[in-house]
Amino acid sequence: MNRFWLLAFLFLVNPATAQDTIRIGVVTDRVGVSKPYSEPSTEGLVFGAQVINARGGVLGKKIELLIEDDQSRPDISAAMARKLIDQGAVFIMSMSLTPATQQQQTVTMEAKTPQMTPMNSGDTLTTQLPNPYFWQTGPLGSIQIATLLAHARSKNLRKVALITDNTDLGQLLGRFFKAGLEKSGIQVVAEEVVPRGATTASPQMQKIRASSPDAMFMAGVLTAENVLIFKAYREFGLKFPIHSSYNLSVPVYMTVAKGLIDGVTFVDAYDPEKPEVKEFVAAYTKATGKAPFNMHGYGYDGIMLVAEAIKKAGSTDKEKIREAMQSLTYAGVMGKKGMQYKFPDGKRAGFDPDGMVVRVYENDQQGRVIYTGQK
Amino acid sequence: MQDFLELTVSATASGCVYGLLALAYLLMIRPTGIINFAVGEWAMVGAFGGFLLLSKYEWNYAAGMAVVLAFMFLVGWATERIAVRPLVERGAPVLAPILALLGMLMVFREVVSVSFPPDPHPVPYPFGLGRLELGPLGGSYQSFFIIAVTLIVFAGFWYFFEKTLWGRSFEAVALNRRAAALMGINLSRVTALSFAGGAGVAGLAGLVVSPNISAHYLMGVPLAIQGFTALVIGGVGRVEGALLGGLLLAFAEQLTARYAPIPSGFAQGVPLLLMMVFLLLRPTGLLRAKT
Repeated sequence: MNRFWLLAFLFLVNPATAQDTIRIGVVTDRVGVSKPYSEPSTEGLVFGAQVINARGGVLGKKIELLIEDDQSRPDISAAMARKLIDQGAVFIMSMSLTPATQQQQTVTMEAKTPQMTPMNSGDTLTTQLPNPYFWQTGPLGSIQIATLLAHARSKNLRKVALITDNTDLGQLLGRFFKAGLEKSGIQVVAEEVVPRGATTASPQMQKIRASSPDAMFMAGVLTAENVLIFKAYREFGLKFPIHSSYNLSVPVYMTVAKGLIDGVTFVDAYDPEKPEVKEFVAAYTKATGKAPFNMHGYGYDGIMLVAEAIKKAGSTDKEKIREAMQSLTYAGVMGKKGMQYKFPDGKRAGFDPDGMVVRVYENDQQGRVIYTGQK
Repeated sequence: MQDFLELTVSATASGCVYGLLALAYLLMIRPTGIINFAVGEWAMVGAFGGFLLLSKYEWNYAAGMAVVLAFMFLVGWATERIAVRPLVERGAPVLAPILALLGMLMVFREVVSVSFPPDPHPVPYPFGLGRLELGPLGGSYQSFFIIAVTLIVFAGFWYFFEKTLWGRSFEAVALNRRAAALMGINLSRVTALSFAGGAGVAGLAGLVVSPNISAHYLMGVPLAIQGFTALVIGGVGRVEGALLGGLLLAFAEQLTARYAPIPSGFAQGVPLLLMMVFLLLRPTGLLRAKT
């Protein structure tokens, strides 16, 4: 199918024994609802492992990835985590949906095995369970919203419309958006939902048009339904600005919403002008023949952090890795220029709250950064 | 008033898509009694055919559409040969092919899922992204295109069933399979053609709606539900019932979302409520079969 899954396969059939390698378990989604995000993130992770191994590995051993598919189903996900730990994985990387990652924690906490998600954004992943073996390095949903709202405040908006979809995440983000907007003194004059599987967003956009907002915020995470919103917006000749969640940072919009998205601003954790990003893009493109995007960066940073932690621990002892991980500071591909992942005061969500950026679509391309941080 | 007229075009176009999907169900249910929930996945396959031929290889739209339709006929025919006929010939109960077809649903989805990248894929508009004003009615070019294609398809099937000997043989099988067989009608051929026709219509629905919603490996289930709801509302007895059911469903969806004084999130439950009402009060649907 593509070179990365072939590479992943080669990792799996590598005849090296557990003594020769350091086994990292990866739970990803190859066929379920998270596939559009899990697949590129996992590709970035596999590429990262390839880079680490080309540099001689960690502690003199190669990284060996054990990859399992959980279809974004929490029940399967926990079983996969158990299987990977039984196979000798010293670290579990969760590249699936937030509920699946949460379910894996029940296993990793009991087995005292370090686990990390470099891509999930759920705010409660590190707070619901007192699991000292779990870390999250993707930007929290609340950080994304705070960044977008900080940008909105700079525009002096008074009344806005809010539109989302009926997925759990879309609804959650919608609630966060609404609470944040109202807290900022911005009135939400229309709240609309485009359900999954809709064939038009005309009724919802008509209601928004009737409310005459200063701007519209998009919290939906379904690409096809978001494109319907853009189509209705253009068909009705609407002019108010659109500000979107990080969902618009996925590059598929440049093709499926071509001609519809210029001027739309979106929150992202990826600055194309950052030196680390330029270096990553060049290396990834050279190795694979295709350009990476932000989701690849999440997986790449994830495996690099894990390698750093093992190196710092000086051992594959899980407790030592846990201690090393908790005290780690690392500058990677993701985040604004100069951002570092860190876990201060025992916190296990490592993305800097001030590390996100707001970008704008220009000429159907994800364009420049127009705002950084949330201050 | 402007909003209502815009919605009339938009809801009619959506209703036409639902109507096509309901027709796909109906074509198979009438002669065989088999509900094939893979209709939504067939629509997905049609949409991906559109992506491949029209977006990737930039074929002429009419040629691409013809090839997609021909391919979908083959898909439907093959599905019947693989998942239905062996079970029917062994005297399996009617539930057996329905379950086998659910298995085929998964096969179609997984084949597409592993063959294409996971993101939605763009399918071009035959007449571009523009707005057409027809008197007081206004809507996108694609809305009017969907309406025109649907009317042609329904007119064609109405003519087929009402005016041709082949169509009458389908109706005869629908009324009484045993008597139809005794009259010399080839049941296997009718069944195979009903699946081929169902796949063709479902694929067409997927193809015409895909410029709006993109081709995506998870697009099938919502379309299957919308088509089945339209079928329940319109009834399985007559071809025109499928279109009527689709239109009613779409108008209920969109007028509720636009005008009902309820939170937008609740509006999506109204069509399902409508289906339950029809199942309770008029289980045969709006239009009954001719006796």
